[in-house]
Amino acid sequence: MTWGPFLLRRVVAFVPSLAALSVLVFGATELLPGDAVSAVAGPSATEAERAAVRERLGLDRDPVTRYLEWAGGALRGDLGTGYTGGRSVTELIADRLPNSLLLAGLALAVALPASVALGLLAGARAGRRADRAVSTGVLLVAGLPEFVLAALLLWLLAARTGLLPQVSLVPLGGTPLDAPEILVLPVLTLAVSGVAVGTRLVRSASAEVAASPWVEAARLRGITGPRLAARHVLPGALAPAAQALGLMTGALVGGAVVVETVFGYPGIGLELQQAVAHRDIPLVQGIALVLCAVTLATVLLADVAARALDPRRGSPR
Amino acid sequence: MRRPSPDPRGSGGPGVLTWCCAAVCLLVLSVALLGPLLASGSPTEQVGPPLAAPGAGHPLGTDVLGRDVAARVLHGGWVVLVLAVGATTLATLLGAGGGLWLGLAAEHGGEWVMRAVDVLAVFPPLLLMLLLATGAPDSDAAVLVAVGLAATPFSLRVVRAATRRVAATGYVVTARARGDGWPAVVRHDVLPNVAGTVLADAGIRFVAAVHLTATAGFLGLGRGAPSANWGRMIRENLPGAPLNPLPVLVPAALLAAFAVAVNLLADRLAEHLADPDITRSGA
Amino acid sequence: MEPLARRTLLRSGLLVAATAVAGPALLTGCGSGEESPARSDGKPRRGGTLRAAFTGAGAGETLNHFVGGTALDMVRARALHATLGDLDPSAPDGVRYGVLETIEVNGELSAYTLRLRRGLTFSDGSALTARDVLWSLRSPAEDPASLPVYKNPAATFDFAGARVENDHTLVLPTLAPVADGRLLLCQGNYLVVKENSDFSPEVATSGPFRLEEFVPGEGCALVRNEEFTHPELSDAPYLDGLELRSLPDSEARAAALTGGQVDFAHDLSPVTARTLGEDERFTLTSTSPPYVSGLFFRMNLAHEPFRDNRVRTAFKLAADREAMVESVFFGDATVGNDLLSPGFPDYADEIEQRPFDPDRARRLLREAGAEGMRVTLTTGPETPGMVEVATLYVENLVAVGVDATLEELPAGQLFADYPAYTRLPLAASFSVPTPALPLYQMSYGGQNPAALGWDRPDVDELVATARGTSGEESARAGLAAQRALWEEGNTIAPVFKPFTTAHVPGISGVAEDLFEQFPGFSRATLS
Repeated sequence: MTWGPFLLRRVVAFVPSLAALSVLVFGATELLPGDAVSAVAGPSATEAERAAVRERLGLDRDPVTRYLEWAGGALRGDLGTGYTGGRSVTELIADRLPNSLLLAGLALAVALPASVALGLLAGARAGRRADRAVSTGVLLVAGLPEFVLAALLLWLLAARTGLLPQVSLVPLGGTPLDAPEILVLPVLTLAVSGVAVGTRLVRSASAEVAASPWVEAARLRGITGPRLAARHVLPGALAPAAQALGLMTGALVGGAVVVETVFGYPGIGLELQQAVAHRDIPLVQGIALVLCAVTLATVLLADVAARALDPRRGSPR
Repeated sequence: MRRPSPDPRGSGGPGVLTWCCAAVCLLVLSVALLGPLLASGSPTEQVGPPLAAPGAGHPLGTDVLGRDVAARVLHGGWVVLVLAVGATTLATLLGAGGGLWLGLAAEHGGEWVMRAVDVLAVFPPLLLMLLLATGAPDSDAAVLVAVGLAATPFSLRVVRAATRRVAATGYVVTARARGDGWPAVVRHDVLPNVAGTVLADAGIRFVAAVHLTATAGFLGLGRGAPSANWGRMIRENLPGAPLNPLPVLVPAALLAAFAVAVNLLADRLAEHLADPDITRSGA
Repeated sequence: MEPLARRTLLRSGLLVAATAVAGPALLTGCGSGEESPARSDGKPRRGGTLRAAFTGAGAGETLNHFVGGTALDMVRARALHATLGDLDPSAPDGVRYGVLETIEVNGELSAYTLRLRRGLTFSDGSALTARDVLWSLRSPAEDPASLPVYKNPAATFDFAGARVENDHTLVLPTLAPVADGRLLLCQGNYLVVKENSDFSPEVATSGPFRLEEFVPGEGCALVRNEEFTHPELSDAPYLDGLELRSLPDSEARAAALTGGQVDFAHDLSPVTARTLGEDERFTLTSTSPPYVSGLFFRMNLAHEPFRDNRVRTAFKLAADREAMVESVFFGDATVGNDLLSPGFPDYADEIEQRPFDPDRARRLLREAGAEGMRVTLTTGPETPGMVEVATLYVENLVAVGVDATLEELPAGQLFADYPAYTRLPLAASFSVPTPALPLYQMSYGGQNPAALGWDRPDVDELVATARGTSGEESARAGLAAQRALWEEGNTIAPVFKPFTTAHVPGISGVAEDLFEQFPGFSRATLS
């Protein structure tokens, strides 16, 4: 298959996937007990006040109508208004998403080369000492829940030594890049758990390539060491690794909720957690939908990258 | 897709590390499962001033409300493990059932179902957990279901792939040609060949389940106060850590040791089980 | 008694237990004119930017405090907008006026006349008039989205009949005779916003500071409003700037303080406060009554056993209040007496303190045939200490033979499904500092669903009488109402907890701003 139809097929598949996820998001938020009325009207509201709020929010209509309205709005880039404060959800996500993308981007920028290097080191000499050390180390770190890792790093690098701030306070009117020190701990936490996942994936892909007759032939020709790894193992391993790293980006989205909560970093994960706590349903729906779209997009990109990196350029599957 | 890889330690038997991991797992399991029987005091009764240092009657000191940390640790592992095991069982049953069905009946709309499963796999697990656990507050069952459902698409994919490899070998075609019914085919020809994959996959899901259930406790989802739960204990006592670090350190160490050990064991198990699977499926 | 000594209780650590201090002394205080910050070293220092951290909303935050109920919303609003007045138990009227010169009430208690100080202006130099005051009180009452507290004045005053007599005079008729209208209007949260303001960052404001930078969910930067004229202090506010940061977690606020990212951390959890208390670099301040928040357990009268007053009394006697104060708040809280709002002038402190008497509780339960009764107490982490106090209370109940269990809901869920809340047999709740009798009317009387079945027209009548009359008659009715509440009420109010803040040394004049639960900075100095 040539690039054109491949890309077209992938992009076209994106749309129904996102539509299906939007139904899921909307349905799941309908599960929240009671309804948003109490959250909005306040505890001591009278029945009449509650009814007024219900009507104002449009909660008196059936879920299908509300879903269609919401989805229609989403297509036009309008995700409704949040209950608390009444700000536009789209605007609010636009405020917060860049911060989270920055965090995830930096974490990937650290984790990706590290994963490839470590994975290649281990995979190219599967079964030897270097592999054993890397694999075990990676498994050790991957075993730690993210919040334990975050608390550990926080204690070591901030609370105990005061090297770094414990709280990620962005300078008012600035971006996180204006105070890079606040990024260190969140990025480090995400990157460390990302490396743990990524290294395993790259390692198994390169171990498989390293055992292939092709690489065996190169080895017989006398090519060894780093040259063998870089020229012969890496190209074969990159494609499956790229696909797997797409999944890793998905895991970063979940990790962001925990990491942003622990460090108080003003990103979309922290916002989601607060929105759930305040039962701000339009906000929960909007953030969940955007997170799903971001994850779908990275999976798509990873697929494209995997194909571009595949030395055989065969069928994408 | 995840592919099996050669064992990093060659073909030798289980190493020292594996035995250590098994020992750690056993230790944590016994603390968690036998703890409620071993604990002498109540996990909710106040026995002293809050955040007191270890002393007579409370060997690990007291927690933020003056309750015995030792008693709470002994009572608090059970729920984390039971939830993780329950969620893994749920994911494995759904994944294996769906995977077998899809692997064998791929022609009849199976591709479409797989597309749907791929889409579900995109749904961030923590998001699902936040939504479901908020929907059913104060309920451990919601955490179990959320963790289980989040893992199901991944299980399903792995089992389906393995089933298709088995189906492609010809066993199934031969058996069908012999006139065996589907249940018999599944029981005699498919299941024995994918059991290893299912088991190895369950190990990986279990690690994720331990992580997610502990995170649920840390984020305050699931059964609330005064229940003891290692994840919850960490959250409750974190602010008081400078006064008495033990109510944070002990459950965190137990959780971390267990998760790390299970992770290493699951990896070894996956490799051990994967080898015959490769030969059998002729990859 | 020196009222300042009581209000500026600066504590480092836990040495001072805030047991009920105020009492009758509240009514006898002297004027508030002599107050000035940094009295010890003479002239207050001008300049500096103070950075402070509060619980705030997420990115949905707006500048409209009528709809935003977080501490940050209130503190920001009080910095941006001038107050009508604040409760000041030591002042002659019980209030200290802000933009107002005085409030007069007619003999029939049917109309209040608000007189503004002359020459007040907004930050853009435009005049602040009685129309702005009326709009600020009336518009939130008409907006369904605004918080209940801003709708309260409409329950007492007839805004449709309000008259703006001139730029400085506003007459507010009451719906029924009310004696404590001053307390109601000058609670500290009624502020003057420019008429028809849409709360965008550009709109002119009337308070001690004006907005420079606003980042929703993260905080705002304010600078001194040179147009602001302080009621008593000619050169206040002293600070050049104020940076208010939003940090929802108590731990995070403390960490920002210890990390040098802020100078002032508000509303710390008891454990965080205790931890910080051991750090000599910081000063801890706890508010004292009336600026305390009540933690309540309410017995639902729809639940059969609670219809028997012996059971209700047993549940009140079972609470080990001292232990709660000691264990949850490390001694830094006030023991409650099952009444609302200690420290306010209308609080009945003549009523004796309820003892901790588990034996009598057990006996009463036996007499009522309610031994071993099953009950679930439902609570949630809505304010620091709430879950902890409930946890201890359940243990207290078990100790007197009740089969009690605790159900903790996740944050934000307790009041979320309100009809479900009103059906709970035993439910936790909390109060913000509000005078006792208005609070009774807002949250307890008139078959309010929040009162879980309390339906006593006779007590409602007594409260209405107490609020609608003055002098001896008012006091007698108020006492009788609270006596009934104490004897037969369905509320257990074991603990009133302070708002604890920590700050770096050199900050003073914060407590002088009154309304201590949400600190104001119009008199604060940095040295």
